[in-house]
Amino acid sequence: MMKAFPFIIPILVSALATFLVRALPYYASFLDRLPRFLSKSLRLLPIAALGPLIFPGVILDFQGHWYAGLIGILCAAFIAYRKNSMIIPILLSIVVTYLLLL
Amino acid sequence: MESETLNNLTFRQGCQEGFPIFVGYFPTAMAFGLVCRDLGLRIWEAVLFSVTNFAGSGQFLAANLIGGGALLAELFISVLLVNLRYSFMGAELNRNLEKGIRGWRRALLAHGTTDEVFSVAVLHREPISKAYLAGLELTAYSGWVSGTAIGFLVGMILPPALQLAVGVTLYAMFSSLLAQEFHQKGFKVLAIAGVSAALNSFLILQCSMAIGWSFVISMLAASFFGAMITVDSEEAS
Repeated sequence: MMKAFPFIIPILVSALATFLVRALPYYASFLDRLPRFLSKSLRLLPIAALGPLIFPGVILDFQGHWYAGLIGILCAAFIAYRKNSMIIPILLSIVVTYLLLL
Repeated sequence: MESETLNNLTFRQGCQEGFPIFVGYFPTAMAFGLVCRDLGLRIWEAVLFSVTNFAGSGQFLAANLIGGGALLAELFISVLLVNLRYSFMGAELNRNLEKGIRGWRRALLAHGTTDEVFSVAVLHREPISKAYLAGLELTAYSGWVSGTAIGFLVGMILPPALQLAVGVTLYAMFSSLLAQEFHQKGFKVLAIAGVSAALNSFLILQCSMAIGWSFVISMLAASFFGAMITVDSEEAS
């Protein structure tokens, strides 16, 4: 079973990690009393996560054309900055990257 | 009956307020379905992923790590950290939630916490009823899960040349999020994300560190850096 379905265990491990952080505040209240610096840092985690979620992956994934993904996401970021939408930037980045890969 | 005092926050009201979230989640989840297909997951595995995780960036991160052959411990800690914000949202929601919800209902409501659900639900000043929250979460959830399945199916008919380009979806989503954060909160956002991106690239390319650990270290270092450059009077959020 492990061999036939190698993704089941990682998917469930990820689910467990996600569920634990969600359930925690419903069953414990110490989160309201964390030291100030720590709670400030924790609130910044989602922003801090964005950097490593993009780099260096976006360059390594398109090895022959390292700039293809990079230019694609720059276009996406530019549109997302102007308009508060995600769909158009994402579609645009696919088109741009596709054209650069041709 | 407590529910009578909460009758303006019904299940139906929750569903209505959840609809814009549904619309926003659907294409993002489609992108996730596409990513799963690229990684070699079967459709039911991709759907199981979204059913059990229900976490945007957490799932993309997990998929990335699984694709990169990360250890389960790396996966667990990275996902835990990137989703840690749900603890703070849950704490806030829990304060406003009607009292006396226990057992599996409480666990299910906790499972539905996401950034968007949170930001809609906390707008209400009166106590949030469980029916309302259930409607809101269920609507968002159905957008996420169905989008994953449809995205996977769409991936089966895309020509191969387009498949490679679709790999940019994930990064485009993160860079769009970053641009919006930058728009709202200013240069601090770019500084924090820049530090974590540079550190992560250095650790992976120069030190050949495993991607999971590298991710954890860069993320923690950059958020401490962020807390240091944030002025105390200003609320870091």
